[in-house]
Amino acid sequence: MKSFSLLSGWFGVRQELSKERRTIIGWASFLLPILIWCAVSYLPFIWHPLVLVENIGDVDYFQEGMRIEKTIFKEEFENMQSNGKKVPQGIPANPIYLPAPHEVAKAFYTAFTTPPAQKDGLWMHESLWQSIKVIFWGFVISSLFGVPLGILCGTYSVVARLFEPFIEFFRYLPAPAFGALMVAVLGIYDGPKIAIIVIGTFFQQVLVISNTTRKLDYSLIEAAMTLGTSKWKLLHHVVIPGILPNLYLDMRILLGWAWTYLIVAELIGTSSGITLFITQQARYQHFENVYAAIFIIGFIGLGTDLFLAWLGRRMFRWDRPANKV
Amino acid sequence: MFFNTKVSSFKKLILTASLSMTFAFSNTSHAAEPLKVAYSDWPGFVAWQVAIDKGWFKEAGLDIKFDWFDYGASMEAFAAGKVDGVFVTNGDALVVGSGGAKNTMILITDYSNGNDMIIGKPGVKSIKDLKGKKVGTELGIVDHLLLLDGLEKAGMKESDITLVNVKINDTPQALAAGDLAAIGVFEPSASQALKLVPGSKPIYTSAQSPGLIYDVLTVSPASLSSRKEDWKKLIGVWGKVVTYINDPKTQADAVKIMSARDGLTPAEYKKFMKGTRLLSVAEGKAAYVKADGLKSLWGSTKNADNFNVKNAIYKEPQDISNYIDPVLYK
Repeated sequence: MKSFSLLSGWFGVRQELSKERRTIIGWASFLLPILIWCAVSYLPFIWHPLVLVENIGDVDYFQEGMRIEKTIFKEEFENMQSNGKKVPQGIPANPIYLPAPHEVAKAFYTAFTTPPAQKDGLWMHESLWQSIKVIFWGFVISSLFGVPLGILCGTYSVVARLFEPFIEFFRYLPAPAFGALMVAVLGIYDGPKIAIIVIGTFFQQVLVISNTTRKLDYSLIEAAMTLGTSKWKLLHHVVIPGILPNLYLDMRILLGWAWTYLIVAELIGTSSGITLFITQQARYQHFENVYAAIFIIGFIGLGTDLFLAWLGRRMFRWDRPANKV
Repeated sequence: MFFNTKVSSFKKLILTASLSMTFAFSNTSHAAEPLKVAYSDWPGFVAWQVAIDKGWFKEAGLDIKFDWFDYGASMEAFAAGKVDGVFVTNGDALVVGSGGAKNTMILITDYSNGNDMIIGKPGVKSIKDLKGKKVGTELGIVDHLLLLDGLEKAGMKESDITLVNVKINDTPQALAAGDLAAIGVFEPSASQALKLVPGSKPIYTSAQSPGLIYDVLTVSPASLSSRKEDWKKLIGVWGKVVTYINDPKTQADAVKIMSARDGLTPAEYKKFMKGTRLLSVAEGKAAYVKADGLKSLWGSTKNADNFNVKNAIYKEPQDISNYIDPVLYK
């Protein structure tokens, strides 16, 4: 029964894990995929469906550095052998779209350390800064309108009835489809890119926030009204402080949402930011660079989110998940 | 007090933000502004990078700004009137114009000289071998045109084969899957296909039909009329660019500049340059002489127009004479 009690120690229903265990599990959530990736990359017997040609021998169409299916390589090998010609040589390899972890790590490092080859080209961190600015303004503009509207929708049914049906409709329209239109209206530089992020974020934002507002305990509002508060004070002193921790959480999630629109946004108008790097490298099949760039975005996203979570814990000390500690 | 300053600084932030946004969003162009052109990833267009990096426009007294785009996005920007000129194929100039963005082709950069190709799977040795078989390409674009041209030369018709619509980027995998006898494709996807399918070979390329696909700078008629003297200065710069790229002494430096634009090594980039035949000023001038046949931009564009109408890319044939102006070559 020992193993059972061991398991139940880990699998308590809605029981918080000890700090130590939380850390272990947190690392494991990253280690697991990395280990799988390593295994597929470094253990040839797991996958490696191709052969990377190192020496072409006498096969007329082989080229050095070419990746070829195992069966075809074997055929040509036997062909050459039986004809007494020079046999080709090669090592097992994965398809070009699955580079090994160390290749990606190297690409990650060189991406930042390589000066721009082009005369007035941008360093990697400058390209990233371009992308971050687009996200930032997209999110700020969306929030400037989305947050107040969401709170009003959640508080007053009349506002909700007026706006929500249309927003429900509009949020299904794919933001990237507005690309050419936004170029026509806003030009070719950052304008249309920011607009795509706003379109992608705003409508979800209103609905998510109005929903959060509606979940505020009604007894709080009732109590305030019994005490004779004015409508403005009700919003300002009861509703907004009441939903603030959840609103903050929503905003964290929505910021991630905004990031997912970055790549399509940056393909609109002039090519810019991290997307220029990704599309350019992908076109010429330098997939290790593509993975590195994708990871960079991931790290920035996760980093921002961890920071905001830490900040949130300090700002809203009273707000804790209702788990058993 | 503290709260107040905070609010006012926040207001300031919003104010500056909205101001800077207005600047970012407004792009009215008046005479004093630089000419704006959109260019994209094709050796004949990337060639201009040499002039950009060397500062040759300034030397020529020309204020011009090159903005880097994806090919499709560059056409969108031109169609929306956000740039004065764009680099495209002559066939695509017609497509953009048929949609309402009238344009005038004023400079030829190159013609495709092998970068577009029909690749047959192992065993398929010529266009004739395609009879009754399936061929994949992206319908309505240049390689479809190339395929029809190849069929015609082999004495065949489009109905002799079965066309399958495949996105250019997916053609290598489509050929590898084995159903298709051949694909129509351009670089760099063509090289991928040749690598991916051992034994596959190009059976017809744009090198066998020079002038089928010209690449040009096409500009808005309004800009051409109001800024004609500025546009004319381009031709001298282009002459310098072609000389610099073709001269063995300076070629290495030119390839280095061009490959940097694409984030490639010079050695990688050189492969793609062979398939593009840059046209010097004299050669461009010769191609601007009105004639039938693919040696003339006129004949080539008429051919592309017929192709576009036949494939319902647009309905009405375009008046070619509105699209071609040899003003730079005079």
